[in-house]
Amino acid sequence: MLPTYGPGELHLVNLMAYRASGPGRGDVVAIRMAGPHVVYVKRVIGLPGERVSVSQGQVQINGTTLAEPYVRNRRPWDVPEVTLGQHEYFVIGDNRGMAAGEHDFGRAEIDRILGRILY
Amino acid sequence: MSGRRLALAAALLAAVGVIVWFFSGRGDERTVVQARLNRFADEINQSTVDGFGTAARAVQLSTYLTDDIEIDLGQGTTPIRGRATVIGMAERLQPRTAAFKLSFQDVTVVLDPGQTTATVHLTAEFVRRSITTGEESLDAREFSLGMRKVSGEWRIASAMAIQVLK
Repeated sequence: MLPTYGPGELHLVNLMAYRASGPGRGDVVAIRMAGPHVVYVKRVIGLPGERVSVSQGQVQINGTTLAEPYVRNRRPWDVPEVTLGQHEYFVIGDNRGMAAGEHDFGRAEIDRILGRILY
Repeated sequence: MSGRRLALAAALLAAVGVIVWFFSGRGDERTVVQARLNRFADEINQSTVDGFGTAARAVQLSTYLTDDIEIDLGQGTTPIRGRATVIGMAERLQPRTAAFKLSFQDVTVVLDPGQTTATVHLTAEFVRRSITTGEESLDAREFSLGMRKVSGEWRIASAMAIQVLK
């Protein structure tokens, strides 16, 4: 998540953030694996029902380029379009200076999203 | 205090101890499975320190796997089948270039009614340390393991990587 968050940093997660409504675009969220002790920290870029793709490193939402001022390093990734399900969010890290295959990103089910990173 | 009262108090204490031990999960087969997995991780971590190539180490690690183990790392990779194949691949790892520490987090064990097979859900956390720079990096993967009790010991029969982000 560089440059927004560095490796090894301690973060505070608001576990109540999405009790009333789901994550919003741009939110940085904690995504659980088998349990809450090891999590991904990723940014939400796509919301349920939306079409998401990446073309030459630019994220496209429903065919429109998403402005992402938080991205500093950007390689020309190409990711085929996916349509998100009713309970799916597309998440990705801010550091895109590596090959796409070396970066974990994609669709996350809502029940995997623990909460919003506060800092 | 008389000898009889002392004996009674000791018996009472022992009974309380057994109850605490049981309810803390120590009497549970699930705890046995978890302990077995932790020992497996310890063995692997030791391998990255002393070199994995020794036959003794390979034999030791193979006791944690069933003969017909199948590992599916997903994302288009070909499943790895058979204990000999897995151990052979592990022996070819080069611990000199980078050491790593494996630990299992958020382990959930579900036993079958007969308590001879189990499904384990966990996150495998790898902390890699570069030998040259000392820099550490963390990687983690979620796995579903199938475990089987063979000759009184729990062994990994299958390992399937779970794709969290699709």
